[in-house]
Amino acid sequence: MADLESESKPNLTPILDMVFQLITFFIMLASFRAVSIEASLNLPVVGSAKPVDTQGQNSLVILNIDQAGDLKVYGESKPIASYIATQAQVELMAARMTRDDLAAGKELPTIVVIRADRSTPFKLLNRVLVECQRNGFRRFALKAWDKER
Amino acid sequence: MRRSRARRSPEEVELNLAAMLDMAFQLLAFFIMTFKPAPMEGQINLRLPPPVGITADGTQKPGETVDPAEKPQGLTTLVISVFANPQGKIAAMGVGETAIGTLPALEAKLQQVFSDKGTPFDQIIVQVGGKVRYDELMKVVEVCTRQKLAGGEKLSKLSFVEAPD
Repeated sequence: MADLESESKPNLTPILDMVFQLITFFIMLASFRAVSIEASLNLPVVGSAKPVDTQGQNSLVILNIDQAGDLKVYGESKPIASYIATQAQVELMAARMTRDDLAAGKELPTIVVIRADRSTPFKLLNRVLVECQRNGFRRFALKAWDKER
Repeated sequence: MRRSRARRSPEEVELNLAAMLDMAFQLLAFFIMTFKPAPMEGQINLRLPPPVGITADGTQKPGETVDPAEKPQGLTTLVISVFANPQGKIAAMGVGETAIGTLPALEAKLQQVFSDKGTPFDQIIVQVGGKVRYDELMKVVEVCTRQKLAGGEKLSKLSFVEAPD
């Protein structure tokens, strides 16, 4: 009489399905915008600073400014004037896709997000603000923490 | 009696999911390791036009008649001055010609100015000393953005100019 060898193999289909669910979840959450945020900056603490629902506003230019007044983009220092001018041109071209009347020098609909270190002197910050205004940016969002970290 | 041959069952192809599961775990580990939640940050929204001269705008031509009821642009602008000590903290402030010592006093003064129904001011220019720290400036900005004009709408016109220290 042959011994019956019974093998029980676990059914991997449900666990594979669950893993794909998790992968899909993390793929949906992946955002390249978080990489553009310089985490080393100490933002000022302003009690009335609240997260704002941008309502799908995707036209943002994020400027990270450290204590020395240097503009940091993805961890690298960039020349202020040329970088902002380039961004203004890009935003102008993007805005012209929906608004034909937008000409160079007119107010851009883009919001400039200023993330500056709390100890940055105004003199250095103002260089960035003036350059932005010179290139047509008028809408600004000054980032701050609502409580000390 | 000859035992009949057991019928061969049709060949079944078994799909080995272990390899696919292993690959899926690799992908999952990658996305977990690279997941970086964005920090919760608040913001203060401002519209910052380039600062205009606070004196007469100079658009009047010689011999031109100007409506006396129309105020020159400079008269609708309230000037706030902020100066810093060597450490960058606020040392002195002023609203127009009035010296202000503290932020609560600044807020009280601004409320007094804007609550006056006859006030001509609808925008603020902040003259900031070059050494003023950004966090100190944000305190002043917070006070300014809390103000409401005589009509009830929030103050939205704010500009910065650098003042010599």
